[in-house]
This record gives sequence, structure tokens and C-alpha cells, in this order.
Amino acid sequence: MKEFFQSPKIKIFLSVLLVLIMLSVFTRNVENNVISTTLNTVTYGMSKVSAAASADSSSKGYDELQHENELLSKANRELRAKLVDYYNVKEENTRLWMFYGLKKSHEDYTLIPSTVLRRDTNDEFGSFTIDKGTASAVSVGDPVIGENGLIGWISEADAYTAKVVTILSPQTSIGAADNATGDTGIITGSAKYAEAGRTTFTKLNSENKVKEGDIVTSSGASGIYPQGLALGEVIEIGYDTYDSSYYAVIQPYDEIGKVLDVAVIADFEGQGEILKKESDE
Amino acid sequence: MSDRANSFFRYLAYVLELILMFVLSTTPGIMPELFGAKPALLVCVALTVAVFEREIPAMIIGMIAGILTDLGYSNSIGVFTISLTIICFIVGYAANNLIVAKFLNYLLYAAVAVGLLFMLYFLVRFIIPGTRDMWSYFTAHILSRMVQTFLYSIPFYFLNRFIYFSLNPEAG
Repeated sequence: MKEFFQSPKIKIFLSVLLVLIMLSVFTRNVENNVISTTLNTVTYGMSKVSAAASADSSSKGYDELQHENELLSKANRELRAKLVDYYNVKEENTRLWMFYGLKKSHEDYTLIPSTVLRRDTNDEFGSFTIDKGTASAVSVGDPVIGENGLIGWISEADAYTAKVVTILSPQTSIGAADNATGDTGIITGSAKYAEAGRTTFTKLNSENKVKEGDIVTSSGASGIYPQGLALGEVIEIGYDTYDSSYYAVIQPYDEIGKVLDVAVIADFEGQGEILKKESDE
Repeated sequence: MSDRANSFFRYLAYVLELILMFVLSTTPGIMPELFGAKPALLVCVALTVAVFEREIPAMIIGMIAGILTDLGYSNSIGVFTISLTIICFIVGYAANNLIVAKFLNYLLYAAVAVGLLFMLYFLVRFIIPGTRDMWSYFTAHILSRMVQTFLYSIPFYFLNRFIYFSLNPEAG
């Protein structure tokens, strides 16, 4: 045993460990750090191919595909057109039109459509990596939307990929308002509800009038998220003995654990203005 | 085949295994969740390689598996890289010098290593930041992930045992 502690192996081990600890400290929360950019560049192609293959295979079941195939064959005969992947294209088109519709109604939004590149076994709050990074003007803090509303924000970004922390995570803190009653609070995730794909609307006033079925949207109070993005629907009201306040359980409109196509709002009118004002004061 | 060629193909097999498990673990929609969690396949590969290889190769495989695991979660080196590097080095040393890695002994190594790894992860990710409802998360996810990782590592033990003995004539 004594020989082991004097052997070159232990010196190599300790040196490697020291380097890893230093890298861990110096690369944490650093945008565009060399390690993540290099590793993501190496794995990007592989993840892109497997994500595309998975999207193709998981989007439709066998029966549905067979039925679709029959319909397409029939349509082919009738119309004499060669539209082999018509329905797949149509489905994708519908998603893109949704983002286009949002862009039309909010002309100030700079939207960057992206695809979920990978999810990890450690994705306890549904966090995922997208295929756009700082090279596409994505930056840390940008809001991320799904087909039906706000689903998260960019926590880390390198040149070609970015990490999205979802509204199911306790790391999230979004100013929100109940559209029906005007009550305001904070949207933050909870380990208790994340499992069921739900988040919480916390810090509600003791005289709040929030009720089941109300729609909760972003308040835009901090200038980090645009105002009026749907976050979900109230399904339950509770009282938190931990911080003596009321909260509501929110069911997001998107199935966050399964979402495949998202868009990053890289810029919008009023972004960062309130924070800027506060820092000026 | 020469010893050098054997070693080359053996390590190539381990690296391919790691890449394949990385793709399987991170691709959306491939691996189904059982009882709220998925197994950490890269941990299975790293541990089963560590019980056959010597300390330094075991440590390197552990480090690669850890970096890939952390990469899936965060864009920086974190708890999995550091803990898997340490655990694989210790397992590599222990299996070569203290307790030979026969199947039953391997189960003991795996139980201790997987338990330690996920408790450390839980400490860093939940206990230190003071996440609310952390214990409900522990029972709903972490426990299941620990058990699944342990169980999934058994076929990897036999696979890597086969690779090790086939491509390392001295060991036979």
C-alpha cells in the first residue's frame, strides 16, 4: 500500500484530478467556453443525426403511418402527384406557421427556430440542448417558446448549441400574472410537481383571487421575458407552509418533456430595459 | 495479433461502447423511462471497464464517461466527471490488488460505486442548493435511477469481460 502511494500512478491520478477541478471551476457559467464548444462540436453531428432519426421514428406510430400511406396512395392515384412525404412536410409546416404567426403578431420579436438536439438521463426538470448557439445570435437568458407558450430560458450557450432550463426547474424565476384576476406572482419549478410536467405560480398575495382554469402569462415586469406569453393554466391552489404564502399549480400548454421544436426569442422590444433602468438608478 | 494491436482494438471497443451509450442516453424518445428515471448507461460502461483494466486506463475511461455525462446536463465539467474519475481509479486499483472482480464481487463494487455516485450527485445538485421537496424527488427519481443503473450494468459486465479476455491474451 505504501508503495502504491509513492508510485507514478498516484501522481498521474492527482494531476488529472487537479486539472479536472480547475477546468470545472474556470469553465462553470462561462459563455462560449473552449471545452464545451469543442465537445459539442465533436458530438453535434452525431446528436443531430440521432435526434432526426428519433423524431422520424417517434412522431408517428405504425398504424398511423400505414393509414397515412394508404391515404397518400389514394391521393396519388387521384391527383397523379408524387407527394411521398406530404404529411410529414405538412406537419412541420404547421409548426413553422405557428412561429410565423407569433412573429406576425409580435413584429418586434426576433425568433430563432431550433430543434431539440438531446436530452439527458439527468434531465430531471426537462432541461434539453438545442441546435442553435451564439453563432446564431442566441445568448444566455433568452426566452424559449414552444408551440403554445413560454417553456424555458437559455442557461448556457456555446457557439453551436445552447442549454435550455425549463419552467419546471426550481432555477426558473419568471414574473407572471393571472390574466383573469390580475394577481401577480413568480413562476418557479418544484421537484414535487415537475415529475407530472407541472410548475408552480408562487408568492401569491394572501387576498389573491386566482382560481382553477385561469390562464397565467408572463408579466414582462423584469424586461427579461416579453409580456403576455402563455405559461399555462391553473389546476390547483395550495398554501405553502415553508414560506407562508399561497401558490397555484400550473399545467403548461406544451408537453415539456417531449417537445422537439422550439424557438428562441433573441430580441424583443423592451428587452433588458427595466434592468438597465434599475442599474442606471 | 500483437499485444499492441490487441490493446488498440480493446480500447477502441470501449470508446465505441461509450459513444453508442451517449447517443442512446441523450437522443430524445429512444430510451423509455421506468419508474420516473432512466439508467445512466455511461456509468455502467465506465464501472464495468474499471473492474477489468488497471488504474490509469480505468481512470481515463471514467473521465471520458463523466465528461459525456456532464455534457448532457451542463456545458461544463461537473460532479460526474470528477466523481467517476475518482471512483474508476479506486475500483481499478481495488479490483487488481484487493478484491478480484469475479461476478459477485463486481456486484458489490457496483452497488457501492453507484450508491456513492448518485448520493454525491444528489448532494451537489439538491442538498447544497437547498432545493425544496428534494426528498420527494429522491424517492421518485434518484432511487429508481440508482437501481436501474445497477441492474443495467450486469450485461455490461459480461460484455466488457468478453472484450477484455478476448483482446488481452495475457489475462486469460
